[in-house]
Amino acid sequence: MSNNELLEPPVAATDDSNQPPAPIQALHTSQPDERTASAAGALALGAIAAAALAACGGGSGGGTATGSSTGNTAPPPVTMPPPVALDTDLKAESDADAARFLQQAQFSASPEEIAAVRGSSYAAYLRQQFGLPIAQTGWEWLATRGYSSNDTGKDYIYNSTIAEYTVWQQLFSAQDAVRKRVALALSEIMVVSFGSMEIDWRGHAVTAYWDILNKHAFGNFRDLLKDVTLSAAMGHYLNTKGNKKEDAKTGRQPDENYAREVMQLFTIGLNELNPDGTEKIEGGKPVETYTADDVSQLARVFTGYNYDYSAANKVRLPGLSYDTLARDYARQPMKFTAADHSMLAVNALKGRINIPANTDGLQALDMALTGLFEHPNVGPFIGKQLIQRLVTSNPSPAYVSRVTAAFNGNGVRGDMKAVLSAILLDPEARSRDRLSDPGWGKIREPMLRLVQWGRTFKVRSEAGSWKIGNLSDVSYSLGQSPFHSPSVFNFFRPGYVPPGTDLATNNAPAPEMQIVNETTVGAYINFLTYFMESGLNTNNPTSNSTNYVGGQDQRDIKPDYSVELSFISHTTASPTDAEATAAARKFADRLNLLMCAGQMSSATYNEIFTALKGAILVDHWNEETKKNQKLNANTPIKYRLKWVAAGIFLTMISADYLAQK
Amino acid sequence: MHLIQPELHSRRAFLRRSAQLAATGAAYPLAMNLSLMSDVAAQSAGDDYKALVCVFLLGGNDHYNTIVSYDPASHAEYQRIRTSIAIARDQLAATALNATAAGGQQYAMHPSMVGLSGLFNSGKAAVLLNAGPLIKPTTKEMYRSSNRTANPLPPKLFSHNDQQSIWQSSRPEGSTVGWGGNLGDYMLGGNGANSLFTCISVTGNAVFLSGDQAISYQVGSGGPVRIWSVGKSDTESSYAMGFRDVGFAVRRLALDGNRTNQLEKAYNAVTIRAVSSADRITAAVDATKANSSGVFPTPYDKFVSRDGNFRNPLADQMRMVARLIGSRSSLGVKRQVFMVSLGGFDLHDNLVNNQPDLMRRVSEAMTAFHNTTVELGVADKVTAFTASDFGRTLSNNGDGSDHGWGSHNIIVGGAVKGGALYGYAPPLGNGSLSSTSAQDLWQVGQGRLLPTTSVDQYAATLAKWFGVPDAELPSILPNLSNFGAGSLTVDGQTFNYPKTLDFMTV
Repeated sequence: MSNNELLEPPVAATDDSNQPPAPIQALHTSQPDERTASAAGALALGAIAAAALAACGGGSGGGTATGSSTGNTAPPPVTMPPPVALDTDLKAESDADAARFLQQAQFSASPEEIAAVRGSSYAAYLRQQFGLPIAQTGWEWLATRGYSSNDTGKDYIYNSTIAEYTVWQQLFSAQDAVRKRVALALSEIMVVSFGSMEIDWRGHAVTAYWDILNKHAFGNFRDLLKDVTLSAAMGHYLNTKGNKKEDAKTGRQPDENYAREVMQLFTIGLNELNPDGTEKIEGGKPVETYTADDVSQLARVFTGYNYDYSAANKVRLPGLSYDTLARDYARQPMKFTAADHSMLAVNALKGRINIPANTDGLQALDMALTGLFEHPNVGPFIGKQLIQRLVTSNPSPAYVSRVTAAFNGNGVRGDMKAVLSAILLDPEARSRDRLSDPGWGKIREPMLRLVQWGRTFKVRSEAGSWKIGNLSDVSYSLGQSPFHSPSVFNFFRPGYVPPGTDLATNNAPAPEMQIVNETTVGAYINFLTYFMESGLNTNNPTSNSTNYVGGQDQRDIKPDYSVELSFISHTTASPTDAEATAAARKFADRLNLLMCAGQMSSATYNEIFTALKGAILVDHWNEETKKNQKLNANTPIKYRLKWVAAGIFLTMISADYLAQK
Repeated sequence: MHLIQPELHSRRAFLRRSAQLAATGAAYPLAMNLSLMSDVAAQSAGDDYKALVCVFLLGGNDHYNTIVSYDPASHAEYQRIRTSIAIARDQLAATALNATAAGGQQYAMHPSMVGLSGLFNSGKAAVLLNAGPLIKPTTKEMYRSSNRTANPLPPKLFSHNDQQSIWQSSRPEGSTVGWGGNLGDYMLGGNGANSLFTCISVTGNAVFLSGDQAISYQVGSGGPVRIWSVGKSDTESSYAMGFRDVGFAVRRLALDGNRTNQLEKAYNAVTIRAVSSADRITAAVDATKANSSGVFPTPYDKFVSRDGNFRNPLADQMRMVARLIGSRSSLGVKRQVFMVSLGGFDLHDNLVNNQPDLMRRVSEAMTAFHNTTVELGVADKVTAFTASDFGRTLSNNGDGSDHGWGSHNIIVGGAVKGGALYGYAPPLGNGSLSSTSAQDLWQVGQGRLLPTTSVDQYAATLAKWFGVPDAELPSILPNLSNFGAGSLTVDGQTFNYPKTLDFMTV
């Protein structure tokens, strides 16, 4: 429906969390009838404690210590080096450098990928990823799982859970990891949310939206903007669907929601920006990009769109007593009806959008979107946010300006491949010097931590059902889940500055800190303990049904810890110090490289190494043999899995890991 | 000079510098707070306690259907303009408010707000009409002026996130200090070693409760989250994954405050706070928790958590606030500021379908909360008040309303001079921005209200009741200095802008 829940309260499933850790829960909440459950979902599922409150209105909030926040004059002209081109042959000098790049560009770094990067160049790796086709769309996956048949349509037409499965499945297992990573970042800029998605075939609509983000992740921003604007999911979420022209008789005005947010959030932001992302200052003040009148005028452009409710587009699903929209509408652009479109002139953005009265509606839409796309703010506004999502919360103005130059292009404006290359190949992203900058990096988002764990340890759904649902609960789960932003303002704002920190002293944003609080830090640590040893439970994994079945929680999402287990190679019942050291050393080294890109401090490394070594040398009670024993290659696997889990767990709660640098 | 930069205020600047000098910026009192405390209301023996509870309605509440025009003439005009999203007059009789504004206007609450309209009519709740962010008293003529130096406006009007921030902190985007947090700053000393529990959010991270030193401490609506794998002490392992050494390592890693990287340090600071306080809060609220059947003890049993198939998360949050207030002695606190919130108010569409449940949840949660404070014997020490991003348009966009500015709000508590309307009843107009007709003089297009009371005046009234001396109010509310002197005359009517309003018993 709209951008309602700017700050949804955390919802605790039960009264007190003052209870021992729950047994591993299936990651799926049954929603037998989502027509009624969906509104509850708007309250319960959007349960992130993200506050859009202290927020930044867009790119304007990125005042870094080196920004122009103090000056009344434009920054002195600096000759900016051009963005790094995709044909650079810059190579990783170490495995750690390669892992760092991979963790920025995608979700994880496997030994094979590290070798691939080291064997060619950063740019070659990106070119290879840019060239990977979308092997399977989310829409196609839904069909393979039996969710797209009219025969079972009544079970899935009001079901959003199937889209959660789809997106998690793709995040965990799709081969085109860079594309998936970029699509997820885009889903946090052009936000739609299950929190308000009360439409027919809602799971399909969000999946189709996910497919749009994937389709254009390596395409052109202008095409992305148009497909997003006309998508069924966005049409519902920000009210373009059903938006009609003004009516003097009833006093009805065009709905302004999309017109406002497409400017504030998806393209240009609130204040005019320099190419380096700092705000333009005139007369001592920032220059606003648009006025309330601009919003009212632009709103006219987005009138006349609706789903296709014609008889030919309706279907009677077995078991239902009424007609519904045929499923395919959820991936089609909304239908334009000229009679509902405002024919008034539109003059907005200081003449950048100038549409004469009586212009054809579809032509008016293209004129408006082009006007937005051509606005000089788009490069720094979108570019800086993509840097924040992929690399660092506080890029230097020079870094932003190089990405802006890539967006503005050499002939082609808005080429996403050029933008992403500029972001990921930039000296600032690649230089090791930054690692010692105390303000450098970003907090890894909770959902990225989970996917990194999954990809690093090669999880798969044994049944292929990938029944991972909404992980938004702030007290018992990750506190973040794809397409569960509490509002169109995302889980956190690009300009959020955590109060009472060194970052605040420097007025340095740390967006992800907006969902870090006394509740979520503990919930995250507890959540890790639920699945670290052997994977995630799902409910009734061998069935495609989303209905909850009691007693059928099963371990279906399983990691492959065989390499880690192999580090305990000694067979001696009482391992020597040297044997324990060797095993712990190999494992700690692997954790440092694959999870932290070699960025563990020596103190953290030693803490983890020492704990892993101690765990081998100390006696443990073995329930089966009823004896104390030490870990060796013949110890029952469940005890050795605890050792593996302990190493990963300690790594994933360490500050060294939580801040990606 | 219009004071729109809080940094310029010497007290705030002093506080901020001090906070930066403090080694950690943590919520522990400095000697300075103790001295400030001598300025404020006596913190003497007995049950000296006060709490303010901000109830934030996220998305911009449609105030026109919350506090609805009810006298026949006004209602007819309201109905004429709002058409299909107007509420019929006969549906409003049960929630009509027994009060009349100076111009003769009468109001009713939304039909689903039975509890709150009852509290109003029994003198426990008041309504503040047409309040919103202002830099200084502003007329429509001043709004339309091109001279922004003489006629400054709040930045980024009509934008959700910025107006939320301005309501909470007087500043848009990126603001790090809110007036609720500044109230906390003044009271840290009085709360002594328990000052971490001065500003508590039962919703997400919000700037409102962040002070120069006061921390916005977060508690879930079910209480704090215990971290089981972090042992109780450096000598008592949690045996995480079954290993003693791993248990010790968990604790040392999670509570490692000695980080060079600022992101790492900021993250671990939160974990350190969570671990250090979870046992305290859990123990304090233990007696107030539900039994195994989910039934809460008296008086915390008044909240309706479920509304058919739907939860009322606001009720869950406000119950947690009530439980914390009920635990005030064991927590050792005398002044507290809370924040709770409910989402879903951005009703561009489907307003008629979706508004009733929202307004019922607000009414039920706030009514149950007040009734609980009565049973706890602290009703006159606890004040809850509403706020929202902005009001909305009077015009109908088809089946909803769009972003506005000024809005009507509700204040509830035993210290509220209830049963009355405060502020000025705005005329009902939706003419264009250029219209100079009498009914359009307090709106800036499509019925978006130009506020006749500022958020600073609203907040100052609450802050004064809370115990902040008059002289200190401008250090918390940076625009307040522009109010209090002189008046505006519009269409023959005089509008006053006192620094504090009269809706609280002080």
